[in-house]
Amino acid sequence: MSELDAYRSLYIAESRENHETIVKNLLILENGPDESAIAEIFRSAHSLKGMSASMGFEGMERLCHAMEDVFQEIRSGKLDVSPDLMDVLLSGSDSIESMLDDIEDGRQGISDDLEETVKQLKNLTSGNTAGQSASVASAGTENLQDIYSQHLKDEPDNNTQYGGIRYRITVQLQPDCHSKNIRGMIVLQNLEELGHIESVSPSRGVIEDGEFDGSFVVEITSDAGEEALQVTSSISDVSSVLIETVAQPVVPQPSGIQKQPPVQERDGGTEKAERTDKSDKGREIKNIRVDITRLDQMMNLVEDLVINRGRITQIARKYQIKELDETLNMVGRSVSDLQNLMMNIRMIPLNHIFNRFPRTVRDVTHKEGKEVEFVIEGGETELDRSVMDGLNDPLLHLIRNGIDHGIESPEIRLEHGKTAKGLLKLSARRDRDNVIITIEDDGAGISPEKVLAKALKNGLISPEEAEGLSQEEIFDMLFLPGFSTADKITDISGRGVGLDVVKNAIDSLKGTIKVESVKNKGTKFELLLPPTMAIVNVMMVRINGKRCAIPVNNVVEVASLTQERIHHIGTHETVLLREELLHLDRLDDMFGKSEKSEILVVLSHQNKKRSIAVDLIEGQQEVVIKPLSTIVGMCRGVSGVTIPGDGEVVPVLDVNSIIKET
Amino acid sequence: MGRILIVDDTLFMRTLLKNILFSGGHDIVGEAGDGDEAITKYKELKPDLVTMDVVMPKVNGIEALKAIKGLDPNARVVMCTAVGQEQMVKLAIKTGARGYIIKPFQAPKVLEEIKNVLGS
Repeated sequence: MSELDAYRSLYIAESRENHETIVKNLLILENGPDESAIAEIFRSAHSLKGMSASMGFEGMERLCHAMEDVFQEIRSGKLDVSPDLMDVLLSGSDSIESMLDDIEDGRQGISDDLEETVKQLKNLTSGNTAGQSASVASAGTENLQDIYSQHLKDEPDNNTQYGGIRYRITVQLQPDCHSKNIRGMIVLQNLEELGHIESVSPSRGVIEDGEFDGSFVVEITSDAGEEALQVTSSISDVSSVLIETVAQPVVPQPSGIQKQPPVQERDGGTEKAERTDKSDKGREIKNIRVDITRLDQMMNLVEDLVINRGRITQIARKYQIKELDETLNMVGRSVSDLQNLMMNIRMIPLNHIFNRFPRTVRDVTHKEGKEVEFVIEGGETELDRSVMDGLNDPLLHLIRNGIDHGIESPEIRLEHGKTAKGLLKLSARRDRDNVIITIEDDGAGISPEKVLAKALKNGLISPEEAEGLSQEEIFDMLFLPGFSTADKITDISGRGVGLDVVKNAIDSLKGTIKVESVKNKGTKFELLLPPTMAIVNVMMVRINGKRCAIPVNNVVEVASLTQERIHHIGTHETVLLREELLHLDRLDDMFGKSEKSEILVVLSHQNKKRSIAVDLIEGQQEVVIKPLSTIVGMCRGVSGVTIPGDGEVVPVLDVNSIIKET
Repeated sequence: MGRILIVDDTLFMRTLLKNILFSGGHDIVGEAGDGDEAITKYKELKPDLVTMDVVMPKVNGIEALKAIKGLDPNARVVMCTAVGQEQMVKLAIKTGARGYIIKPFQAPKVLEEIKNVLGS
């Protein structure tokens, strides 16, 4: 098994692709018969089966085999695609997915409903067993028969006169030979190329059907020589070949149809081909698959490179070696190019997760008795794998909500003068430094009045605070924890359900989310995401002479810190900035007491603000944030470290935890 | 040892087969993911032997086999099939395939078959 483990990640990646193909085409099939969809599913199930058998995942193999059989029957017209059948097939595809999850976790691919699904699939085909093991190929059976009959026509005419010696060849196959008929056929086929077969005993038909004891006798007229006949007959699973000459003179041969023993012919061909070998090799493989952990390792190495370059720069400065300094600048450029390249390599198209959603839409739509057209746009937009991983659940949530609570039932839609079928659109695009993902429906919309009423009722705001809130501010409350409670799901179209969870997930990806809604026109959620989490835009500051990085998206503003601004409330220092009272944190425990903190940086996280005092602002730059080593453990106020171009290790401020402590 | 073109629509199977063939000292001169590509690569690379999957998108293995045999009647093509595809193998043999290997691959059997077909 350990040997096969090397193939596990490849198996999973490719199996997931096949699974996606199956789901995608099942959904196409649901809208009506589609031959290419059927062929695609058949092929994917077949591939999955083959791969699983190779890996020894027996359950998956059986499931895919059963699925393949069903599609074989659908293709040959023995089975119709009914809604019931669709349900079985979709649950089969669900089983495949959960088994792949299981395999990915290092197990053998177990699914609770496997046996039931296989049974159901088998029941579908059991009525038509005749078709099961018949022909299997991606073209239709008729097609293959065409090829066959055409080939037969190409066979040499029996009356053609062949020259040479007549031999009697007795071929004995090994007793454990897997398919005697195929081996027999190959021997006959090979011999046919060396001469003219006069007779076969038992007959070709008997051999093709495999109804012989493993030995057969061929009489052939050939001028290829005994050795060539021996070699050509000694294929796999042949235990012995006995060649005798038959005393019978044969008509002299016409020179035109003389055949060369292929051995010599091939030798010439090989030589010639080898010459072209080298030049061809370079352009063989255009794409390769790489395990993401290897990319992470590479990224770490690039960062090590950055650190060490910084050290060398310091040495160069210390000894004032100008030439070395110049070279290091060039190295620096290469290193940052390398870093950018690594970032690009980690990017994958959003379709990677988008492609899973049509299935969800289908299920939720059916369950809710609604009609929804689901449109995906911009799936080719790329995001870093680390961002992509965290995006699936929030998107799923928003899509579900859109159908569940946004889009109305067909009757209500018609009443409102809309089409019975609602529209749900998921789109993505790149906007300068960000990726914007929107989920838009043309449903009932969210009522600001109801949101406000509920926020008041749940005690999220006081009646005074509620006065004069803009619609945007009201909608923002949807994302507050505690806005919705489980027992009141259906209030306000249930829009509030779990949106705080969505918001948290987007926050952790360093993204933002906002919502727009017009009553009876629809709702639009817009997610703004950095294309990668690995690179973050930070503000470099110095506190007590020590460097520190603050993520720019946490910085609200920068102001000068004069003594007049500082007020003392109890033991706390606070700052009055444009009528707003902000808690001031000196971060002395982290960086030591600074005498010259003259700049105020206002930070925010989830609408909560707080300010810190710093000595100096060095500027803004893109950096890679590394988590703290487990040896260091958790460190209050620090989310990780970064190593800017000069190689110094700089802590990154964890604004979230600093604000929470207030 | 031979120069081999591997034809299969899954990277997984190609990789598995490639490693088996490498271990047998063969040279993998190319890979193709469907029948169409197989025909193009055959013309371009003139391999000593082709391992041919049957169920593939666009042009299937049997059609590709026929096209390759049309280009080069001496082409050595070995079919790769799953258990239970006997009809298909029969058809392939009649179309001119020289051998067949069964999935899941067993390295010794694969190498034996390749050696035999290369030697024929």
